[in-house]
Amino acid sequence: MKTDLFIIGGGPAGLHAASVAATYGIETMIVDESFSLGGQLRQQTQQLRNLPKSFKTQTGTALAKQMIEKLRQLDVTKLVKHTMIGTYQDGRIGVTDGHRTIPISANKIIVATGAAEEACAFPGWTLPGVMTVGAAQILLNREYVRPGKNALILGSNNFALQVAKQLAEGGVNVKGIIENKERMEGNETETIDQLQKIGVPLYFNSTIQRAFGREKVEKVILNHGHKALEMDVDLICIGKGLSPILEPFEILDCHFTYEQALGGWLPVYSLSMQTSNPSVYVAGNAAGITDMGAILLTAEIAAVSIAESLECVNNADADKTRKLLWQELEQIESESFKRTFQARANVVKRFQEETDLSQVNGQ
Amino acid sequence: MKISPDKLVEDNQNKEIPFYFNGKLLKAKQGQTIAAALMANGICKFGVSRKLQQPRGLFCANGRCCSCFVSVNGLDHVLSCMTQVEAGANISSNEGDPNVRREVNEN
Ligand SMILES: Cc1cc2nc3c(=O)[nH]c(=O)nc-3n(C[C@H](O)[C@H](O)[C@H](O)COP(=O)(O)OP(=O)(O)OC[C@H]3O[C@@H](n4cnc5c(N)ncnc54)[C@H](O)[C@@H]3O)c2cc1C
Ligand code: FES
Repeated sequence: MKTDLFIIGGGPAGLHAASVAATYGIETMIVDESFSLGGQLRQQTQQLRNLPKSFKTQTGTALAKQMIEKLRQLDVTKLVKHTMIGTYQDGRIGVTDGHRTIPISANKIIVATGAAEEACAFPGWTLPGVMTVGAAQILLNREYVRPGKNALILGSNNFALQVAKQLAEGGVNVKGIIENKERMEGNETETIDQLQKIGVPLYFNSTIQRAFGREKVEKVILNHGHKALEMDVDLICIGKGLSPILEPFEILDCHFTYEQALGGWLPVYSLSMQTSNPSVYVAGNAAGITDMGAILLTAEIAAVSIAESLECVNNADADKTRKLLWQELEQIESESFKRTFQARANVVKRFQEETDLSQVNGQ
Repeated sequence: MKISPDKLVEDNQNKEIPFYFNGKLLKAKQGQTIAAALMANGICKFGVSRKLQQPRGLFCANGRCCSCFVSVNGLDHVLSCMTQVEAGANISSNEGDPNVRREVNEN
């Protein structure tokens, strides 16, 4: 198969990039390994804050629906249940459904594969009933299954707090939120207030000593300050943050850099969201962990820049659009966590330094 | 069970379909993943680990950790969190290492 633009990942970043690119008249194909498009939006029932100007405030699930519907009206080829697993020697990309692998040749590629949740090991962490906060959220909001009756949440970032709240509202008895630091990591006051109202206890300076159970988790012992606390739980949700998924960038020979505020290792990229491999662009949480607004804006920047390089829009117009998008990105991102945008600026600076250096070396 | 107004995996979720787990007849909602359908039936242990035979179940729900393996219609090591249940599917727990087609390759 052949296409001008091949997008890997059908979450908000991939979907938005696809619709912007198709609107510019670019022949576009999008692939996702899951059985439906929408990525991690499919279980986000909360109202999304801080969306770009061109989006109205809505829940994640509604946004996914809206974006999928928009693609339906555009000429975009969609392929689900297919995973990008490698490249051929001639540069074509291999996607597989587990039975056969299809080679795809593309002029430009956007990697929008999102982020994975961090694990956290403690004795007993492999027992059934111990899962990531995202897994619990998927069960509850996408699959309509209550993941347990009595839950403990490990971690207090915004994502963990959000899921704690959703579990409590969904009828799960949330027995506590455990944080090893002395204060809360998250800063969404609305969620924090609601958790307080529900009466979910917060345990600071605390860790899990051990989880027990025969076939699944039944009990947990906490180190709470100098005391050991015992609790009966059948669900432990680990919310220790996200980091960008890197395999596709490794396969595509992209250079990496490290920025803690963006979730750790990630590919270096330019103001066009172009990686060190000139045909590969990046968008969404794969370009650093951030809010939904920034996820959508990075996707738009990548799509506009690809339209420019495929001569579907002139340089002056592309430049103008890109500048406006970066301004909005800075504004949105700085509102929630200032260091996220600073880290992003570092990534772009490093890309520039690499480019300058390779010019000096005549490469 | 919480039903959100703008659900996605959706509208046919109300249709129930039968499937088997270790020979026992169970019901799933159409569109549900195997992992979710098992948990809705109160089953959290999907199999055992390969070396120490310790219980394993859903962990990431995203096809990344491989903790949720089951066998489906004779095919081993299927990710139950990424696979939707099909009516009449014969699913069994993952009891360690599968047969790696030795008889076919002879090597
Ligand atoms: C389980 C989970 C729950 C989350 N819940 C929240 C939340 O409540 N609030 C919040 O603010 N953030 C949440 N996040 C963060 C999430 O990353 C962002 O909200 C957002 O969805 C990221 O958008 P994206 O388009 O960059 O990636 P995603 O939405 O993750 O989409 C990436 C897509 O790429 C696909 N993919 C990955 N690798 C391949 C491959 N090799 N081949 C083909 N397809 C591939 C995946 O199947 C996925 O559909 C969650 C993350 C996870 C993992
Ligand atoms: S639960 Fe992690 S791969 Fe299925």
